[in-house]
Amino acid sequence: MKRLIFFLLAMSVVSYGWAQCDGMGKAKGCAPKPDSGYTLIKSFAVNGDNGKKDKIEYSYVFTKGTKYLLNVCADGESTDGVVVTLYDKYRNQVATSLLNGKPLKAIAYPCSATGIYYITYTFKESKGYCAGSTIGFKRHT
Amino acid sequence: MKSFLSLFMATILFACGGGKSNIDQLTDSIASVDEALPEISQENIESILASIPAPLELSTHIKDAGIAYDKTLLNPTDNESNYTNSNTKALNLGIYGTDLGYTNIYGHTQDGLNYLSAVQKLSDDLGIGQFLDFQSIKRLTNNSNNLDSLLMITNQNFENINQHFIKQNQASLSTLLLTGGWLEALHIANQVTLKQMQNEELRERLGEQKIVLDNIIILLQLYSNQDSNIANLLKDMHLLENAFAAVDINYTYEESTSKVVDGVLEIVNKSTSHVTITDEDIQQIANTVEQIRNRIIS
Repeated sequence: MKRLIFFLLAMSVVSYGWAQCDGMGKAKGCAPKPDSGYTLIKSFAVNGDNGKKDKIEYSYVFTKGTKYLLNVCADGESTDGVVVTLYDKYRNQVATSLLNGKPLKAIAYPCSATGIYYITYTFKESKGYCAGSTIGFKRHT
Repeated sequence: MKSFLSLFMATILFACGGGKSNIDQLTDSIASVDEALPEISQENIESILASIPAPLELSTHIKDAGIAYDKTLLNPTDNESNYTNSNTKALNLGIYGTDLGYTNIYGHTQDGLNYLSAVQKLSDDLGIGQFLDFQSIKRLTNNSNNLDSLLMITNQNFENINQHFIKQNQASLSTLLLTGGWLEALHIANQVTLKQMQNEELRERLGEQKIVLDNIIILLQLYSNQDSNIANLLKDMHLLENAFAAVDINYTYEESTSKVVDGVLEIVNKSTSHVTITDEDIQQIANTVEQIRNRIIS
């Protein structure tokens, strides 16, 4: 019985490691809540390829007068150690979800300067290296 | 060619510092290369595709500026039968997608349903009809209390279509879909700005599209050697680039502060940007967009 349990545990670890990352699937559960006032505009897959990649990066044109919500979801509302950091076009860090060593689930960014921004995802003690992320927007006055 | 590839990889994946933005550096690099472009990884293409803003944002700005609904600005759904090849279908699917979002934002149900039918037809023709949840969108369009859900599901459907094109190594169609969608939003923004030239916010939103155009040109350049239709569209976008040439976007960085509210990091942003755009610039941009759009939708 012990062998069987060990075998099943070992198999589950192996299959977890081999599991394909469905980042876009995870992003679907990461959309802004309908009553939040944010409208979903972008979804991103965050696939760390089981730890082989330490950084995933996208870019997006943020517009002045708009407030953006960047959400990160790994399992349900958990971030599983996925950190999102926002940089402007000159690579100045604008925001990071890592606060006191722990990643928060979302960043709300009221944009006052239009331009290309880089959205970088890194991993801090992540187990799955797989998450989804979304951007929602609403008018900012 | 190797230097191009290296720069491409460097700018997209490991970019850091410098006076010019990474996208600007990449544009310069591509412009200097005459040879056939190397095969670019799916991941890198996806990254640039993702940078194109959703047309819904521009349409929302227009509505929020108090501009009235104007159906005459949209591509008539009757035109749908004119589109016979996959490139024109993808471009006009993007255009109709923007029109669908526009009608939905303004709550014009019947127009929304008509554009939904046009979107469905083009999607079916392109073999991607399965990614469009027609029944859910139709149900939500008929229920005016569900705008957020309607916009979300419509947007997710278009993202699914984009993802499918990318996975099937048809990212050129994704590029055309996004280009069409963006061009239609730009056309609507142009036409409303021409009637309200004193509206500073509209002028600024219009001028800012220069940034998006730069990215669209990068994407079209990736496929222009493989497809004469895309090469022609690229020429059109270079004309538009000329129209935007005098538009200046000034950016000033200031360090932001933040606070946590209900588990969300709320940023207090202090950076600023300012767009300088003249009436002549707006007129020239509008004229160029109309020429390009008329060729695409006719």
